[in-house]
Amino acid sequence: MGLLSKLVKWARTKSPWILHLNTGGCNACDIEILAALMPRFDVERFGIILMGSPRHADVLVCTGPITKQMKPRFRKLYEQVPDPKFVMAVGNCACTGGVFKGCYGVEGGIDTAVPVDVYVPGCPPKPEAIIDGVAKLLAKLQKS
Amino acid sequence: MSKKKKEIKSEEKLIEELKAALGPQLEEAYIKRPRRIHLKVKPGAHRKAVEYMRDNWDLWHVSTITGVDLGENIEVIFHLWRFKEPQTAIMVRTYVPKSNPKLETITDILPSSNFYEREVHDLLGVVFEGHPNLERLILPEDWPEGVYPLRKDWQPTQE
Amino acid sequence: MDVKPRIGYVHRGIEKALENRTYIQGAFLVERVCGICSNAHQCTFMMATEEAGGIEVSEKANFIRTIVAELERIHSHLLWLGAAGLEIGFETLFMYVWRDREVVMDLLEAISGNRVNYAMNILGGVRRDISPELADKIRKGLDYLEERTNYYKKLCLEESTVRKRTEGVGVLDPVTGVKLGAVGPTIRASGVKFDVRKNDPHLKYDEADFELITWDTCDTFGRVVVRVLETIESIKIIRWCLDHMPKKGDIMPEKLIRRVPEGEAYARFEAQRGELIYYVKSNGTDKPYRVKIRTPTMANILSVAELLKGCYIADLPIALASIDPCFSCEDRITFIDIEKEKTWTWTREELRRYSREFNEKEKRW
Repeated sequence: MGLLSKLVKWARTKSPWILHLNTGGCNACDIEILAALMPRFDVERFGIILMGSPRHADVLVCTGPITKQMKPRFRKLYEQVPDPKFVMAVGNCACTGGVFKGCYGVEGGIDTAVPVDVYVPGCPPKPEAIIDGVAKLLAKLQKS
Repeated sequence: MSKKKKEIKSEEKLIEELKAALGPQLEEAYIKRPRRIHLKVKPGAHRKAVEYMRDNWDLWHVSTITGVDLGENIEVIFHLWRFKEPQTAIMVRTYVPKSNPKLETITDILPSSNFYEREVHDLLGVVFEGHPNLERLILPEDWPEGVYPLRKDWQPTQE
Repeated sequence: MDVKPRIGYVHRGIEKALENRTYIQGAFLVERVCGICSNAHQCTFMMATEEAGGIEVSEKANFIRTIVAELERIHSHLLWLGAAGLEIGFETLFMYVWRDREVVMDLLEAISGNRVNYAMNILGGVRRDISPELADKIRKGLDYLEERTNYYKKLCLEESTVRKRTEGVGVLDPVTGVKLGAVGPTIRASGVKFDVRKNDPHLKYDEADFELITWDTCDTFGRVVVRVLETIESIKIIRWCLDHMPKKGDIMPEKLIRRVPEGEAYARFEAQRGELIYYVKSNGTDKPYRVKIRTPTMANILSVAELLKGCYIADLPIALASIDPCFSCEDRITFIDIEKEKTWTWTREELRRYSREFNEKEKRW
């Protein structure tokens, strides 16, 4: 491994930038993700920063089942994230489709559209669970 | 208790006014409970009813428009709210045959009904004639034309 | 500036799904129409079904429903205030408010067992009781919240950072607002007295002692103030409920209600964002015949198009946020909210009739 790629990996594991995306969920997971970023839980101490653009992000944090309308846009957005990309599915619906399974506007979990690295179940998962998911993802980043 | 009686009394007055204005086109009118007036009008008379209420009662708020599939007919219910005293919710219902679901729009009378009419059109296929922009509102772009998910004869395919 | 809303990104088909599920399953599905106003949705669905089927609700259950509804309002308004702080670049406010919001989240967790989707309501009552010890805990939490909210009230009214960014932005005059069917704090900030809790009282609001908050500046600043003041009123309502709640009594019917007699009803509820409507038609079975949901954001879309008229692009985020758009609530349909992508989504397609009336001052995209 060259010096540069070592440096990149070090930077990525020390400070992964995330893009939070609602693919058709109910907001509950979204506010819990935000709560995890807030002073009480503070995932920023792991160097995690919320970004506004997919082009700047390392990790895509997705909530909600994927809707038919959203799917093509989600793929487009996923392609914009620079390699290597990591996807975190937060919440039951993002993992499997959850309560929305069988609704005509819903395709299913996030993994029907893109490969997922970490699943965080819960409806909504508590901020603690999300932080645990983040920690697991960081371990995965280290290995990659 | 006396307060409740008084409320209903003033609502009865509203119904009387409507009966006088609409005549036989008003098929049914009753008060379900305080602040809930239910009306049923002949197809086509809903415009007249709504227009009367707007002009005489200064009624502008459309809470929503509901479409219900009743088998042969599609029932369209306009949920309105009267701001002025006596404040009350008014449900104006009418029906269209499922084979030819056409109804005149009320967007020119009450502009806030714009999106609700589009929604009913999307989900139940009721065509609101004269609507300025009756395009797809909430269904996905690749949804097939002529398929209306809230009709009873359509069921989602189980995956 | 020109605005053309395109919605439907979060359309999941909940209304159809409800027809294929029992009332009990449905109760937990409607909760997930929107996670922020989850209790409002569930409670309204239950209220509509109860009215359709003539199901009695115990007195105590109504008190508990009111308490949870108001706690939820506090949580949502604080969440909004924080998000508004972020939109205007006042991050300290954002962090402060979200820190204090955790107090409400803890109270809700203590009552219901979950931080966000509470699952409190069932047909004919609520699922969890509020014990006297818990009531004391809530009172303590409210004292802290009241102190903090009063501080935010002072801050919002006096701090020039907030005033400069919000005054005169996103103006919605009352006449247009009423005509376009705006609801909730959006219309109350234009001085119109429209609050379902006062106009068409449900739960315990006809007895509770609180004021209907309006503000007459018609702009985003008004909406900030209305929400902060409403939070204080909510605290008052909860205190009143805790004081007057019957000590004894069932909170739910002895036997779980599965079948609902034939009937129809429509329930109105003042959710955090405004008037929420459920129409339920039952047919005697354990599944509803038809459920119609109209969420407050849906009612506010037309006004958004109006109030963004003539805004600077720089003011777009806060003006848009000022109606507290709930991107999934939104009649299960909506603009997707991906930070900056938001504006992009907005401009794509059509709402010709309304957009034509707008001055096309700027078209930078």
